[in-house]
Amino acid sequence: MLAKIVVQNYRTFRRFELDFDPEVNTLVGDNDTGKSTLLEAIGLALTGRIRGRQLSQELSPYLFHRDATREYVAALKAGRPAPPPEIIIDLFLTNKADLAALRGTNNLLKIDEPGVRVRIALDPNYMPEYEAFISDPSNVRLVPTEYYEVEWLAFSGNRITSRSIPATASLIDASTIQLQSGVDYYLNGIISANLEPRERVELARAYRSLRENFSGDDSIIKINEKLRGAPRDVSDRKLTLNIDVSHRSSWESNIVPHLDELPFQFVGKGEQSTLKILLALNKDVDEAHIVLVEEPENHLSFPNLGKLVKKIRDKCQGKQVFITTHSSYVLNKLGLEKLVLLSEAGGFRLDGLPADTRDYFRKLPGYETLRLVLARKSILVEGPSDELIVQRAYLDQHGRLPIEDGIDVISVRAISFKRFLDIAILLKKNHVTIVTDNDGKDTADVRANYEGYIAHGNVTVCVGEDKRYKTLESQLLNANSLAMMNEILGKSYGSEEDLLKHMTADKNKTTCALTIFNSAQSVNMPGYIQDAIA
Amino acid sequence: MQSHNNRAVIAAAGSGKTQHIIDCVLKDPTRRTLVTTYTNENLRQLTERLAYSGGGVIPRLVTTMGWYTFLMNQCARPYQSAVLSEAGIMRGLNFVGERPRFASKNNPKFYYLDSNKAVYRNEVAALAVEANRLSGGKVVDRLAAMYDHIYIDEVQDMTGHDLELLDLLLASPIATTLVGDPRQATTPTNNSSKNKKFKGGGIAAWLYKRADMCVIDERVESHRCNQAICDFADSLYPDLPQTVSMNEGITGHDGIFDIRPEEVSSYVERYAPVVLRHQKNSDTQGLDAMNFGVSKGSTFDRVLIFPTKPMTHYYHNRDPEKAGDLARLYVAVTRARYSVAFVIP
Repeated sequence: MLAKIVVQNYRTFRRFELDFDPEVNTLVGDNDTGKSTLLEAIGLALTGRIRGRQLSQELSPYLFHRDATREYVAALKAGRPAPPPEIIIDLFLTNKADLAALRGTNNLLKIDEPGVRVRIALDPNYMPEYEAFISDPSNVRLVPTEYYEVEWLAFSGNRITSRSIPATASLIDASTIQLQSGVDYYLNGIISANLEPRERVELARAYRSLRENFSGDDSIIKINEKLRGAPRDVSDRKLTLNIDVSHRSSWESNIVPHLDELPFQFVGKGEQSTLKILLALNKDVDEAHIVLVEEPENHLSFPNLGKLVKKIRDKCQGKQVFITTHSSYVLNKLGLEKLVLLSEAGGFRLDGLPADTRDYFRKLPGYETLRLVLARKSILVEGPSDELIVQRAYLDQHGRLPIEDGIDVISVRAISFKRFLDIAILLKKNHVTIVTDNDGKDTADVRANYEGYIAHGNVTVCVGEDKRYKTLESQLLNANSLAMMNEILGKSYGSEEDLLKHMTADKNKTTCALTIFNSAQSVNMPGYIQDAIA
Repeated sequence: MQSHNNRAVIAAAGSGKTQHIIDCVLKDPTRRTLVTTYTNENLRQLTERLAYSGGGVIPRLVTTMGWYTFLMNQCARPYQSAVLSEAGIMRGLNFVGERPRFASKNNPKFYYLDSNKAVYRNEVAALAVEANRLSGGKVVDRLAAMYDHIYIDEVQDMTGHDLELLDLLLASPIATTLVGDPRQATTPTNNSSKNKKFKGGGIAAWLYKRADMCVIDERVESHRCNQAICDFADSLYPDLPQTVSMNEGITGHDGIFDIRPEEVSSYVERYAPVVLRHQKNSDTQGLDAMNFGVSKGSTFDRVLIFPTKPMTHYYHNRDPEKAGDLARLYVAVTRARYSVAFVIP
């Protein structure tokens, strides 16, 4: 199992460090926080390959973190000594006795653990050429990877081969399913890995005899006889048609898995990625098996995603799963405690979350937890009407909608406020505002209910003032007059009571809020709403 | 009850020492075993014979590795940062160069590494021992997690800081078996001045001093040389146990002889001995010959030795103090089953 990763100078990571959960790691984060890069780095350290190819063939200056490149180039141009930047990916394995050969302190943390390292550094054999190259710093715009080498090492400092690694990895990227001919690289790897060596030999043998039989077919014999006469003017040799039986064209290029008789590439994209994920999860191996899944929600309808996530949960026993996602559903289902919120330097976990809150979101996976996790500022409201009013208030005050300022207004049921706040208090950098009715209670009493959360400093609670106005609608009516509200809503009720009855009727609530939201009239907002959007 | 699981085998030439190691290793294939020795030639023999006796392949849990590979990759490299304060900087081995004479251990990168970051041959073992000390014993911990048993063949080649590493292994939970013949110390692993008094034949004294750390097993039966040859060879090392010959074959020309240079060609014609010489430029009257050192490990019926001056002197006076390179003379003499002839002017 993988215990930890430390990355230096690789793509978005200048210096990145993250401890892993032994079962599931759900990686979330904004775009460009390095979710895919992290999966790529793990795959690289385990296989020495990137997108199915040897890293040494894929070496490019753009693998280096841009600040590392920039500082290096700037130092050279300023005539300061500049060591050529190195990329290092250190993957720490769980310390077990049989991994002693991979143990050592040759890692960025200098701790004595087993692990593997990918190091991309200047090849000392190219030192003279490199020195000649940098002697004119104006040439240097990027890291000169032509003079670099890739080393694949254990923490013992010794070079390793793929046989030295006691874990296998399957990387499943549903968004880039590429099928040139037959089985693609990932699928091929997954299928091969599911077969016993004996079965693999049988498959290859059966395929070979199939191709050999081709030439024995009556119609092919006739065709070949006809052809035999054809190219006399070019060559004296015989020309016939046959299938290539040389070793180079093995079954992978021509045998295609079929689903319900349909060739794999004609099956829907969603089904394709589901199949790949399930094949990887079904693999039964002695070694530790690492499954890396990129955005399983791609190409999948909601019900199918539900089925897939359940299967991932059921089948990951004894396997370590890394999954990137933009879906709150996936996150809630796999467990909020498995969440890793990525930043450029590391990850943050919600492992301090109370068990009942974790279960709550797992059972009610429809909640938009990921929005709360990702938004720097969010406003939680009790329902769609409140959401519309808060949006309008914000628009009036700031001239644009809250989402344009990165503020997410999330509508949840009032009884789940505390569940969300359990998450919020762990995310110190995020600010969460709650907008709630007083439900006929004193403001102080309602606030007291949230005291433990307010104490954390990143939670604000805005409660409707004056217990006589216990709903949003009564607060709105109070902030405006009967006449104004009648005008806004295009009504002509004679008393505040009647208008309020209209506004709070279940069938009218959202319509009224929408009318207010769209109204060209100016609307006075109740104080607690103004506080929330200030 | 003994508190250790170590053994030292002091074996006379021809006592079947290599086969003894093979037999011990193959006896329990469930143990993770390392077999190491200094010279490539002996490593090759051990590896081949392990594979041969193991049915074509070396058992899965048995590893053979040269002494320097072991020192570099399994001892010094994993914990180099404890000494060099940087991880992953040491590269290869500098087998020829020596560290600058006045280099100080306070500047470890300069002390242990040359300008290409290769470790000086004489300092590899020291680096390994130092890495273990500064890391709080991690080098040995890691070895103990990798191996249940370590066999070191030709232990008489070990010298300098190697001996300190051997001490660490003897004190570790790893069962350690040291095998060698102190009389055949022809290829020291390094020429460090450390532990100079135990160099070569001195390894016997070093081992006897550690009798509380290892059972000392003297294998004095030679299956190769006849008694006369054993006695002649033994007289080079009067402090070591006497060898008992198990070879009772009689050929009519048995034992130690001397011939004059002009008798060489007729002697060669008559007995067809293997000709042994000190080094390439020794005069062997144009006969094909093998260097003393190279002949180590081989068995011949008869040998003809072109001795060095001190060896000739020894032949006359039998004074080991003045015999020159005792180890090479011992090796040369003990190659023969039946007869050894010296060319004495």
